[in-house]
Formats: sequence, structure tokens, C-alpha cells
Amino acid sequence: MLSRIADSLFWLNRYGERSDVVIRLVYVHYILSLDRSANTSGSWRPVLELSTAISSEEISKIENDTTAALRKILTDETNPNSIKCIINRARENARGAQDHITKEVWEVVNQMYHSVNQPTLQSKLRTEQAIKVIEGLSKSCVLFAGITDNTMSRGLGWNFMQLGGFTERCLQSIAIINKQLQQNSFKENSSNDIFHWRQLLYALSGYEMHLKTYRTQNHDSNVMHQVVLNENFTRSVIYSLIRVNHYVKNIMLIHEDQNEMLLRTFGRLFSKVRYMDLQAMETQELHSFLNDIKNDLVAFTNQLGKYYFSHS
Amino acid sequence: MNLETLINQYNQSAGIWDEMHDGENVRKQYDKIFSILHHLDVPTLQQKEKIANELFMNQGITFTVYSDDEGIERIFPFDIIPRIITAAEWNHIEKGITQRLKALNLFLVDIYSKQQILKDKIVPAKLIASCPHYTREVFGIKVPHDIYIHISGIDLIRGEGGEFFVLEDNLRTPSGVSYMLENREVIKRIFPDLFVSNHVRKVSDYPLMLHQILLSLAPPHISNPTAILLTPGIFNAAYYEHTFLARQMGIPLVEGRDLVIDNHKVYMKTTRGLEEVHVIYRRVDDEFLDPLVFRQDSLLGIPGIISAYRKGNVAIVNAAGTGVADDKAVYTYVPDMIRYYLNEEPILPNVPTYQLSNDDMRQYVFDNIGKMVIKQTNQSGGYGMIMGHTIEEEEWEKAKKVIENDARNYIAQPIIKLSTVPCFIDKELHARHVDLRPYALYGPNGIQIVPGGLTRVALKEGSLVVNSSQGGGSKDTWIIDEQV
Repeated sequence: MLSRIADSLFWLNRYGERSDVVIRLVYVHYILSLDRSANTSGSWRPVLELSTAISSEEISKIENDTTAALRKILTDETNPNSIKCIINRARENARGAQDHITKEVWEVVNQMYHSVNQPTLQSKLRTEQAIKVIEGLSKSCVLFAGITDNTMSRGLGWNFMQLGGFTERCLQSIAIINKQLQQNSFKENSSNDIFHWRQLLYALSGYEMHLKTYRTQNHDSNVMHQVVLNENFTRSVIYSLIRVNHYVKNIMLIHEDQNEMLLRTFGRLFSKVRYMDLQAMETQELHSFLNDIKNDLVAFTNQLGKYYFSHS
Repeated sequence: MNLETLINQYNQSAGIWDEMHDGENVRKQYDKIFSILHHLDVPTLQQKEKIANELFMNQGITFTVYSDDEGIERIFPFDIIPRIITAAEWNHIEKGITQRLKALNLFLVDIYSKQQILKDKIVPAKLIASCPHYTREVFGIKVPHDIYIHISGIDLIRGEGGEFFVLEDNLRTPSGVSYMLENREVIKRIFPDLFVSNHVRKVSDYPLMLHQILLSLAPPHISNPTAILLTPGIFNAAYYEHTFLARQMGIPLVEGRDLVIDNHKVYMKTTRGLEEVHVIYRRVDDEFLDPLVFRQDSLLGIPGIISAYRKGNVAIVNAAGTGVADDKAVYTYVPDMIRYYLNEEPILPNVPTYQLSNDDMRQYVFDNIGKMVIKQTNQSGGYGMIMGHTIEEEEWEKAKKVIENDARNYIAQPIIKLSTVPCFIDKELHARHVDLRPYALYGPNGIQIVPGGLTRVALKEGSLVVNSSQGGGSKDTWIIDEQV
């Protein structure tokens, strides 16, 4: 497979996953902000901080203005991480690798592109139709994942796509967890209030699973266990890393070539998470631990890129 | 309103060949279509039109129009009424194109080796020497099987009496074949019933035929050759077609930056390392192919590819240098080439063409500008054309000066009223002008022409310019066997 194609497929799924995460964040926040109470402000600040790179002052200007915040996150072209920009780039990658993805995958990416680029989108976001638009986008992200899974042959291309998707998922989950840790400290708070963590669990679509899995009242550590260490939770850090491990191995198998350096870098980072001691960690410690994992993973993808994608 | 009234209201202009209607009746080849269309009403047709447009849009068969700094994706307009050509007409076209291509290919072999045709003064040497597409850099290169023009799209038009003329030869990287194939798929979706009764010849074999030809051009000692399609990239207007063909043939779609040359061999950069390439179907123009030989500022090309080509390590399709044969000034001499190389009379005539470098002809053209169209010899896509019957006085005075200073690069042709076919526009059937581009493939086993082609339509009323860049659309083209 051409290095350029491998690179494009890797990024196609990274962008696909990223839009999925950001759109869910927006959706969850939108719904939760409807039932504001005394202790929830409904400010868009956390979502804006997670999904854009704009300054704190700029955030202050729009954090309480739902329309402006939605615009920034979803359709603003000056925000390189807006859904519109992400999907445009996803499509560009899909176009460049069009002969390596199925017609079905191409069509769904193309449809997403047309739906974020339709001229009426802006005005819909200003009205009560906004939630419908967000739901529609969210659905097409799921569709993208499902169609990819159902139609792509399990060759090299698929492995690079999945590798990209799960790398992105791991990075996004870490970012969201860390954002939440900034707001609610972990363990310090003696309250046994699950509502406290509800936003995090919704954002990672793990609330239902939490209710079914964890029966004790020790919410803080239960939640952290689920989002970091629960191997059955598809958006946990460990789950994403297990998948990354799987696809890296597949890629090496197909190439009949073991890259020691890549294996070592990944093995190290993987063991760190697998054998971590959650119980012994304080909030701050956990926060910086997750940060380290994020940096290790970024370093790993850089190595991977040098090895497989260097085409210029 | 039903279709019957629409057909009765159909207005063709006098003095123009209409392919559906002979002035009194619907021609026989259109009978079956209209007997089915009769049962439909306008809203149904509109619905079908909408479905067709959505199919094109969702598949990304679009091009980008820029206005107010914003790119808007548009589909190429598609008309849902097919254009029909009878088996007898097609037979004639097929013979004519085969003959013409044979002669043009012999001309290219000759012009890049012995240049006998210049020595015999059939074609003036000056004309070739001044042709910007004559490529000295490939002189003397022996191309596989002596074939230069593997893929061509020769544009045909029909005059007032219904006879076919060759309008231009596209021998470099003709595009549009994906529209021929996709138009057919869309028509099948929206009019499944029409197909069964009409015995339309199929076009879908084109990619397989092309793939066979590509593989047959590889260096002979390679048992399992690798063929690729070289594209300028996603911003090229024909990028959709490149992906379409690569996918249909199952070959890698590659950009210049994916390739490197080492020791006069071409390799592509893959996740496994370098992999050798033997045949390149390039959709990059000659001048961008190799910055060491042609334009140095080209980022689309591969430095050193021409030297690999010269060594015979890689085949380039179409061969480099074919542009000299589709130069609009050289076009005038194609009938002479047919007589010279094949000792035959041309089956498909040229449109009468005046060389503006000839003083008498230039005077004649200037005197009769109202009936003429002037074209630049090295332009395509409908750019640089002057339509004599519509140009403003002032503009013409300016253009005249430009032409006089650079007469070699201009030709003139009488304006031919292209034939018309019915189009479904604004809920009615209207006559619009069309041309026809059949696609021919030339391999070691001879010339094959896919029974069909791209019919381009000038959608504006009265317009004679069919190019997609100038407001043209397209139609599915059916070759049908009448006797059944």
C-alpha cells in the first residue's frame, strides 16, 4: 500500500472518531444545559476548551451564548477543529484514498461533507432545530463507523483506519477525563453524588453501563475505574489501547516485519496503564499520569508515522 | 400535461438536423422510448431527474465552482432523455475513427523517427517546428508496439444533413469516459423498463479493456507487471474520473510525490518500502511529467521519469508527445495523412478549416467573420474561442490585432449548426445542440471502440458550445440495433 494512502486512511478514521466525540460532547452539554439548576451554570466553557484552541478571553465572550458557542464548535471555519473543518479534512483524506475505501464508505463521508456544508445549516442552529441537526450529525458518525466496519475488507487499509480511530479515541477519552478531573476532584469529595460524574459518563456514553456494572456507592473510584481500566467499556483508555495494540500487531504481521522500536515504545506505555494502581492515586497524580500516557501515545504515533507514512 | 403534448409541442429549428424528429414524425429509433415515455407525466419525469441528480451528488461526481471565496460543489448537468444512434450510423463512425486513428498513430511514429511525411512535403515542416506540442525530448524513443495513442476521444458533430464530421482529435489525456459509464448506470436506475425493450449495446467493458491494454504494454520480460494511474491530485477537475477508473481496473491511484526514480526505474513508496512500477496511465500533461525535461516548476511530475521511459523500463500511456497530432493546425492535414499512410479516402470528413497564417485564407475569414468560429490551436475545453456571429465590433477589432501577430496559433472554421436532440428542461422538451465523443482504445491487438460515448449538450438555448466548463451538460448515449 502506498505510504500516502496509509497516512490518509489513518487520518480519515482519526477525524471520523474526533467528530464523533466532539458532536457527542455538544449533544450532552446541550441537553444538560436545558435543566440548569443552582449549581450548574450551563456555561459552554468546558466544551469550548476541549474542542477549540481559542483563548480564555474569547471563551468568556461566548460561553453563555449557546448559538455562538455552537457556531464556534460546529461550523466556524476559523476554528481548525470545528466539525466542519474536521469533516472537510476527513473527506479530503477519503478522496485521496478513494480507490482504497469502499464506495459505501466514500458515500457516507461525502454525505457528511454535504450536510455540514449546506448553506441553511447556520440558520437552523439558531432555532430549536439545533438539537435535530446535532442528532443528525451524531447519527452520521455512527453510520460512518458502522459502514466502515461492515464493508471494508480486513486488509492493510482497514488496519490503518482502525489504528487511527482507536488512537484518536484514546487521546480524546484522556482529554475528557482530565477536563473533568479539573472540575471535580477525585476522592477529596466525600459526597456520594453520581450526578457529579454524569456529564463525563454521558460524554463517553457510559452512563447506562455504569449503573449496570457498579453497585457500590463509591462513585469516584468506580467512575475512574470504568473510564480508565474497564476492558469492557469501549471508550475506556485501556480498551482503546488494547485495540491499538491489536492493529499494530496486525500491520506488522501483514508486512511480515517486526519493528522492535515501535513494539517497545508501545509495550512500555501499554504496561503503564495495565499495571497502574488507581486506588493509590490522588487527583493530581492521576491527572499527570494520564497526561504522560497522552504524551507517550503521541510520541508513538510520530514514530509510527516515520516508519510507515514517510512519503515526502 | 402528459408527454404526448410535450412531443407535439417540441420545436426544432429549420435547417438543423434533429435526431429525434424529421420534421413530420418521430424517427424510428426513438419510437420505443417515446412509446414508454407517453405513459409518464411531467411530475414523474421531474422525480426521475431529481433521483438522477441525487445519485451524482452522493457519489461525489461533482466539480467545484468558486464564487465569493466559497467553493460550491455542483454536479455536471445531466439530461435524462437518452440520445440514440442507430447501428448503421455507428458502423460508419466506427470505421471512420479506426481509420483516422491508424493514420494519426503512423504519423506520430513517423514524426518522432524518420519524418518521411515532412520530407515528402505532405505536411509542412514549418508547421511541426512551430507546434508547441511537438516534443523534441522524446524523438527517437521506441514506444512499445509502436503505439502512441492508446486512449483517444475524437469529437464528432453532425451537420445540417445529418452527416458526421470530425471536430477535433483529443489524443493527449481525453476525459469524460467516467461520465459515459456513470450516465449509463444512472439511466439504468431511473428507466429500468426502457433498457429491456431497446437492445442497447453495453459500455461497461471499457475499464477491463483498458486494463488489458495497460498490462500488455509492460516491458516483455516482466511476468506480473504493475500498472498505476498517475493523477495530479484531488484538486484536479477530473479527479473523480481518476479514482473511478483506478477502482474499476483495480490499480493503484498514485500522485507524483508517491513515485521516485532510481537507476532509471520507477518505484512507488509503499508501507513496505519501494515497489517497481511498469506501466503508467498518466492523467498528467506532458509538460508537467518530468521537471528535469519539461517544466522545471512542476510539482506534479517525477524527476527522471523520461529517462526511465527512454530506457524502456516503464511504459507511459498515452505516449509522451501525442499533442503534436491533435494540434488544431495539424488537424487540417489529417485527411492528407490518411491518404499518405493508408492510401484510403477519409471516411469521416474534417470540418473545413482555414489556416490563419495563410494570407488569403485569413482575409477570407476576416471578410466573413459572421459565419466563422476562430480557435486557438493549442487550447481545449472551449477556451479561447471567438464565435463570429456574436462578437462585439470593438472586441473583434482587438482580437484581430492579436491574431495577426500570432497567426500560426489560430484557425477558423465555418460555424456548423450542430444537430439537436430533445432535452427535458423546465418541464418541457426542448431541442438542444449536441456533439459526440466516442472513446477508442488502441492496443497491440488493434483498435476497439466502446459502443457508446459521451454526448455533450449545450444546455443554453441556441448555444453551440458544449464544453462542461462553458455551461454544457451530458446525456447517456445509446447505440441500438434497429432490426430487433
